[in-house]
Amino acid sequence: MSKRYLTLILILLLISPIFGVILANAVGYAEPLDNVADMLDLNESEINWTPFKDYTVPGLPDVVGYIIAGAMGVAVFILLTLLFERGR
Amino acid sequence: MTDVHIPDGYLDPYMAGATWLIAAIYLYFAARKTPRDLLPRVSAVAGAIFVAQMLNWPIPGGTSLHFVGGAFAAMYLNSPWAASIAIAIVLAVQTLLFHDGGITAYGANVLNMGVVYVWIGWALWKLLERRYPLAGAFLGGWLGIFIAGTAAGLEIGLMPTIGYPLSITIPAMAIPHFLLGIVEGAITVALVATLRRYGMMPAQIPVLAAKPRP
Repeated sequence: MSKRYLTLILILLLISPIFGVILANAVGYAEPLDNVADMLDLNESEINWTPFKDYTVPGLPDVVGYIIAGAMGVAVFILLTLLFERGR
Repeated sequence: MTDVHIPDGYLDPYMAGATWLIAAIYLYFAARKTPRDLLPRVSAVAGAIFVAQMLNWPIPGGTSLHFVGGAFAAMYLNSPWAASIAIAIVLAVQTLLFHDGGITAYGANVLNMGVVYVWIGWALWKLLERRYPLAGAFLGGWLGIFIAGTAAGLEIGLMPTIGYPLSITIPAMAIPHFLLGIVEGAITVALVATLRRYGMMPAQIPVLAAKPRP
């Protein structure tokens, strides 16, 4: 993992709430599947297994939680990459 | 906020089971076809795609989207098999940690974004790479995501329990993905053009170009 790669990831993480939270809320973010689900009356099941559902962290504002959640996800990929590099 | 990822509850047990089974068999072969020394690159690309997918592109008054990256992963890793593994890891992290995509729908999500999208994107890229690489990157991203969205419509429409025919579910998914796919194609071509400029695409790296990665 190069410094350039990690810098890119960090920048993307820091700007992600602008797109993923602020603008998404502003326009009522809905993807094609959401619209089809509405049309066909499909319902998402209620079962939940994670405290970080939809990239939130309990107790934190959405914008901050989004960055922390993203950082947790990134940590998984960095760990995996380090593991693979050792195993090579 | 849900996602392009199918959540739990949309697929009936038969469709969930069938798509899980096909995805599992496919991923077994994809893992075998991915050289071990490529794995650090696979997970690094997966990490970048994970973050890029958090950047939702909201389109006012209409349907929104985010970058999916399957075609780009195939182009950058020079291997559709490795790209499938990358997308499968991204989907696993999204599903398990963030409830983004369902566990029962994981197989269908792998098939749509990690198989259909990856292979359509790869095929168009390979077809055009030599003479028109940028067109290949654009069309790979655009038409790949269009066909992947159409596949999701097919899976939803094939279930008798839903009660809607394919003639409704397929166009409902295909038409918006045909339009939104243009953005996916534009991001894909921008990434490929930037990486080519810095000599970072596989064809420009002798070690990667020398090894055949079908």
